Amino acid sequence: MNSGIDLQGSVIQILTGLGIPPGAAKVIWMPMPMLLMLAVATVAVLVSVWLERKISAAVQQRIGPEYAGPFGVLQPAADGLKLIFKEDIVPAKADPWLFTLGPILVVLPVFVSYLIVPFGQNLIISDVGVAIFLWIALSSVQPIGLLMAGYSSNNKYSLLGGLRAAAQSISYEIPMALAVLAVVMMSNSLSTIDIVNQQSSYGILGWYVWRQPVGFLIFWIAALAECERLPFDLPEAEEELVAGYQTEYAGMKFGLFYVGSYVNLTLSALLVAVLYFGGWEFPIPIEWFAGWFGVSETTPWFQILAGVIGITMTLLKAYFFVFLAILLRWTVPRVRIDQLLNLGWKFLLPVGLVNLLLTAALKITFPFAFGG
Amino acid sequence: MLKFLKQVSDYTKETVQAAKYIGQGLSVTFDHMRRRPVTVQYPYEKLIPSERYRGRIHFEFDKCISCEVCVRVCPINLPVVDWEFDKETKKKKLKHYSIDFGVCIFCANCVEYCPTNCLSATEEYELAAYDRHELNYDSVAMGRLPYKVTDDPMVTPMRELAYLPKGVIDPHDLPADARRAGKRPEEIAEQ
Repeated sequence: MNSGIDLQGSVIQILTGLGIPPGAAKVIWMPMPMLLMLAVATVAVLVSVWLERKISAAVQQRIGPEYAGPFGVLQPAADGLKLIFKEDIVPAKADPWLFTLGPILVVLPVFVSYLIVPFGQNLIISDVGVAIFLWIALSSVQPIGLLMAGYSSNNKYSLLGGLRAAAQSISYEIPMALAVLAVVMMSNSLSTIDIVNQQSSYGILGWYVWRQPVGFLIFWIAALAECERLPFDLPEAEEELVAGYQTEYAGMKFGLFYVGSYVNLTLSALLVAVLYFGGWEFPIPIEWFAGWFGVSETTPWFQILAGVIGITMTLLKAYFFVFLAILLRWTVPRVRIDQLLNLGWKFLLPVGLVNLLLTAALKITFPFAFGG
Repeated sequence: MLKFLKQVSDYTKETVQAAKYIGQGLSVTFDHMRRRPVTVQYPYEKLIPSERYRGRIHFEFDKCISCEVCVRVCPINLPVVDWEFDKETKKKKLKHYSIDFGVCIFCANCVEYCPTNCLSATEEYELAAYDRHELNYDSVAMGRLPYKVTDDPMVTPMRELAYLPKGVIDPHDLPADARRAGKRPEEIAEQ
């Protein structure tokens, strides 16, 4: 396995070549991938919002945004600008500190989670050893923010929405963690890079969907619930709770919730791609192409090509799941709160447990196929 | 034990069935994505009002005999007929006529009962104004020829649902000579 492009190494090398001490070069390098990822995540939100509006329109035989830019691609930017310029209202009887902190606490962990999303062998901000665990931990910070927002708004609907959000996130974190655990067990690592590398040997046949179909379904359902997407959007159920914990929010604070939900959706889609659909892998390993055409895997242009294909594949797979989430939104009716908790605790949790045990048993019986 | 196994198998069956139904639903929504939007993009595309459309009332000053039948049949006595008796000709002479379209309900009773046909319903419906008093149309405003969707070069006219061929629900991309469903009025008259 070759290491692919090492951007960090080459940038630091160039900088030291310019006479900057290695330590300073590293400091200069460090914020660059973070800022890039922040920009990527923001653009991903705009794309997701546009897709949501366009696909929703197509499903309902409408046209959707059409006049802001070609095919309305600038509509989400216009929405964002509008939210920025709107008045920032804090209700008189709300707790101003918690009210402000709530949306920030909802958005931050989602953006931080992008730390562990790999787009290639070295195209990741930080290859943390406990990457997946870090993501699960970070995603449980979010309900605190939601609860904060709901509680501090001093509004019954907000409070109910916040409580529902907390209950939902906590219930679905467990089956999700179980599904992830089965994957982790098969790849013997919590690192996202290792998880993808484990799926890379046989092209499309090596992806974990084939070995973890149940785990994939559990993960996808739980991810939809964590993102509060439509079959599970009880916290903001507009027919019952006005807008749930967002009721009292306006301007950019509301915008933060909005951004947070779409970043979270994109993140979940990316993680489905990484955990179950081979991350940046092309359906046929590109190393095979290199072998067929007699190109060395260390040729610079081949590495750049591989990197580009890797990023494209990750995004393609992720956006397929974003598309699926949007389509599901207009297909599946919303569940009741008791049905939601029933599904989480009485169905997904036991099925997840059985899946985990089965994976463990298969791992002992067929160590070659299940990462012994 | 057997009962437990039966419960498990029933539960599995229900789960599979639920998954099947969700799959069916997804195929429906996915199928809708390839259909053309039925949206009529209003300022650029407009539906052609039907021939019985009751829009803004048209008024012909010279035909009016100031009989005030329109006022009597109007649910709220809306038309204002200002006339004075001309002693020489021994006839009523109309000075002003007006209807406030901010109050009118467009029932076209006045049109129905007008003995001289000086009132008629047009297909004009774009009456928006910045001030409600602008909606009080006098005889000059009511005497204007109505705006026609089919005459406007900026507008693509669209046929309404009842004027589309059988089985068609989308007015876009329709050949101009496509016949509406059922018989045309003149064919019914012939029978």
